[in-house]
Amino acid sequence: MESKAVTDGRLDENVAEGRSHADSLFRQIVESIPVPVAVTTPEGEVEALNRPTLEYFGKTFEELKGWKSSDVVHPDDLQDTIAAQMAAHETGGAYNVESRHLRADGQYRWFNVLGLPLRDGQGNILRWFHLQIDIDDQKRAEEALLANERGLSEIINTIPALAWSARTDGSAEFFNQHYLEYLGLSADEAKDWGWTTAIHPEDLDRLSEDWRSIMASGKPGESEARLRRHDGKYRWFLFRANPLRDESGKVSKWYGVNTDIEDRKRGEIERKLAIDSLQANQGLLDLAQKSAGAMAFDWYIQEEINVWSSEQEALFGLAPGTFDGTYDTWKSMIYAPDWATAVVRAIQHAQQTGEVDAEYRVVWPDGSLHWLATKGRMFFDNEGKPFRMVGFTSDVTRRKLAEVRLSGEKHLLEMVASGRSLFDVLSELCTYVEGIATECHCSINLVDMNGPKIRRPIAPTMPSTYTDPLLDLPLYSDSGPCGMAAHQKKQVIVEDMENDPMWRSTEYRSLALDHGVRACWSTPIYSRAGNVLATFVILQDKPATPSALQQDLISQVTHIASIAIERAEAEGALKRSEAFLAEGQNLARIGNFSWRVDTGEIVWSDQLYRIFEFEIGTKITLELIGTRVHPDDMTLLYDMAERAGRGVSDYEYEHRLLMADGSVKHLHMMAHIAGSQPGRIEYIGAVQDVTQRRFSEEALNQARSELAHAARAMSLGVLTASIAHEVSQPLSGIITNASTCGRMLDADPPNIDGARETVRRTIRDGNRASEVIKRLRSLFGKKDFTAESVDLNEAAQEVIELTKSELRRSEVILQTEFARDLPAVNGDRVQLQQVILNLLLNAADAMSSVDDRPRQMTVQTGSDVNGLVNFSVTDQGVGFVSDEAEKLFDAFYTTKKSGMGIGLSVSRSIIEGHKGRLWAESNQGNGAVFSFSIPAADGPTALPASSVVLDKSRGSYDI
Amino acid sequence: MIYKIPLISVVDDDESVRESLPDLIRELGFSAEAFSSAEEFLESESLRSTDCLILDIAMPGMTGPDLQQELKRRREEIPIVFITARIDEADRPRLLENGAIDCLFKPFSEHDLLRAVNAALRTS
Repeated sequence: MESKAVTDGRLDENVAEGRSHADSLFRQIVESIPVPVAVTTPEGEVEALNRPTLEYFGKTFEELKGWKSSDVVHPDDLQDTIAAQMAAHETGGAYNVESRHLRADGQYRWFNVLGLPLRDGQGNILRWFHLQIDIDDQKRAEEALLANERGLSEIINTIPALAWSARTDGSAEFFNQHYLEYLGLSADEAKDWGWTTAIHPEDLDRLSEDWRSIMASGKPGESEARLRRHDGKYRWFLFRANPLRDESGKVSKWYGVNTDIEDRKRGEIERKLAIDSLQANQGLLDLAQKSAGAMAFDWYIQEEINVWSSEQEALFGLAPGTFDGTYDTWKSMIYAPDWATAVVRAIQHAQQTGEVDAEYRVVWPDGSLHWLATKGRMFFDNEGKPFRMVGFTSDVTRRKLAEVRLSGEKHLLEMVASGRSLFDVLSELCTYVEGIATECHCSINLVDMNGPKIRRPIAPTMPSTYTDPLLDLPLYSDSGPCGMAAHQKKQVIVEDMENDPMWRSTEYRSLALDHGVRACWSTPIYSRAGNVLATFVILQDKPATPSALQQDLISQVTHIASIAIERAEAEGALKRSEAFLAEGQNLARIGNFSWRVDTGEIVWSDQLYRIFEFEIGTKITLELIGTRVHPDDMTLLYDMAERAGRGVSDYEYEHRLLMADGSVKHLHMMAHIAGSQPGRIEYIGAVQDVTQRRFSEEALNQARSELAHAARAMSLGVLTASIAHEVSQPLSGIITNASTCGRMLDADPPNIDGARETVRRTIRDGNRASEVIKRLRSLFGKKDFTAESVDLNEAAQEVIELTKSELRRSEVILQTEFARDLPAVNGDRVQLQQVILNLLLNAADAMSSVDDRPRQMTVQTGSDVNGLVNFSVTDQGVGFVSDEAEKLFDAFYTTKKSGMGIGLSVSRSIIEGHKGRLWAESNQGNGAVFSFSIPAADGPTALPASSVVLDKSRGSYDI
Repeated sequence: MIYKIPLISVVDDDESVRESLPDLIRELGFSAEAFSSAEEFLESESLRSTDCLILDIAMPGMTGPDLQQELKRRREEIPIVFITARIDEADRPRLLENGAIDCLFKPFSEHDLLRAVNAALRTS
């Protein structure tokens, strides 16, 4: 491959030989072009490069020949350039590509490369001619322009204001990004009039009106409205619109910006509120001063200019206008002990914080002490010396006194609560009063109104020569102030004992006067029930009547004394009743226990040890208890421990003990959970030895059972005819059928089918007879109590079946009204049927003499919301007079000629044994209604789930 | 003269009697019909053709004795044999006095029944 370099202006010899003059001319042209030019062969080989090219790149021809594999063309542009050249070579057309070329100084510059083919006369491509035009400056200008435009758009979109443009008809054309994001709308949703949906409904009309007038004016304008943000919240905005005019001055567009003015708006509202509240405060201040007695002052301390109001002066006991405003005078009025503590401390505090807050006492010119409280601000000069103080002062004497009294009361009540002796408490009480109301002696006289006399005088600061004679002093209405106070139950004020004629002849007067007592005020102290427990007495050595403050004190003291005395008496009573209780427990055979389930700690009363026959003081554990519990009842002990572990609120058991000598004790135990703290389960309970009662109960049950059986047997007598009828019917059928059968078999030929049918009937009638017998056996055959679930409807129906023919014979029309879905009851079926039978027969009997009306009997069952199942029998018989109603149930009381009068008595004891009730009422019209009700087996009045019911006949327990 | 098999009618509220007694009566060679109440019998056509009435005493509604009185009032002279499941014989004399042929106490034997029926048929 031949190639020529023009690096030194001299062409290669081989080329010189093979090229024509045209070549030479071409090279000169190329060489003379002032911009970089490259010449390549039709195959793409670099043939020549002119000087500008070599100078631009700063490389030799040889180096530039391999331009495709060097970095002279920017790597990002290289592929495009090569591709453009190759495409041009294939098509033979010109190409034009922009690419960056590496200048000698290492800078890339943009070039526009124009590639043109050079052809011969036949149109064959001889060479390619690549003209490189530096377009770098132009390119950079373009980029800058583009960046500018992009920047502007970014600015519009990022300015915090909401920018928009609108057409001349007012409809929106453009919203900046911020605006759209603010509204949470897309550009399409917001454009035209879509944006108005985000305007607060209350503001829309006004905004539209403003917008129309701005457009009509053609001048910049503004309006305010609330805009709904994307989150639904409205904020106030200022809408500002500017017209854009074309060359002719006509408005062609509107531009606008909305600015958030929410804070400004709120500020306006707050400012208005602040002004209002300032005015209100001024009024309040005036009011507060007047009502709280807190007086304002403004004191320029160094100038001794004091703006003390006359009220402020009054707080110091000064006449209006008499305070000279000096620091020294002010200091002199403050109670000295408080100056050192409260006031100096408050000034030190004020120097650090500027806040003045002090409570201190002042001495009035008359010598009395008054508590003042000052709150305010202190101002300091440059040297740190106080020069001005403003604030309020108020009189807090009453509060301070109340505080003193409250702490005194607390102290006294603590003494009461901590069990200090009554003497100590009452002595302290007297000392307390003497400390507050100075220059007096106090005494409390405990009285015995049964005497009546003073049973104990207490007067800690009076000598025994005064108190001793008071002991056992009889109390009468006229014996002295205390006697009168105690008898008349009212306060007695003796202003001057010496000159009061009422007490002239009393023993007490001389006692008082001997001890310098002139004034004597006696106030009764009552129990809560209103009885006089004591008198509270204040003694003074000069004539006086109590001030309001002293009266307050008296009522406080008598109240505390009443509590102390009552408590002391209650404690005495408690000790007595504890002694009674112990004795009572012994007699009643009741022992107490407490049981901390969580720690296993069990505490027994002495009596409980005696019941279990353990040595008193033995450590009690469940295991130890287990050694005494009857083996058959051990499951109850386990059950109890399990329930207690769960923390059930109450439990109750009856169980037996098997003692060492083989005797059996029956115990009834009840326990209740005491309080409830997390992790702590404690039961308090009682255990009663019910052995004797159980024996009596068993004997009673035995007797009752016998009696019930006797009563049933008597009913049987009444029913004999009826029962005979019930048995005769099927017997008759049996005999008739058997006879028929015999005849059918004897016939010639024997009638086998007929005989078989009569045998079937015989069996059926036999069964019918045996049913009757079974019923009889169940009703009359046994007598032990058996608890089971009983359907009263079914039980009653069985009894009715037995008595049906008897009732028919008595011409009784029986009507049954049985409740559907009647809940079952728990009980002894036979006993309940006995009651039903008794009631049915009684009702029939009561109607036996009735001929003027149908002998109608109605048997009803039902249940009520209290979980009771009811049964009643209503008759139209002779009835009873109302005062007979209870006698009917007495044993051996009867209105019948025959009968022992035990039926109803037994019936009632049976029903009560089922925790039910049996009663009689007069029927409206004629006759009587006998009813009983017993708890349903699962009804709410059935025993609470945590209790245990003793099933007497089985000696076991149903829970 | 054509011999007519005597018709014995049974009136009893007890179904087992109404089933078994007519069967036995037929085995004894009579024809038999059963009615569950006095009222039913009075309304039936058998009233005229009955030769002997076997009648329960205690029935709901019209009792046996009531029916006896009613027949007497209507001058229907049907011989009556009372049957009853009661053990109390106090009613018996009064019933016989009023023309009853016999009063059988349940359960009664085939022999007693046949004797009473024959006695009744003899009177008619």
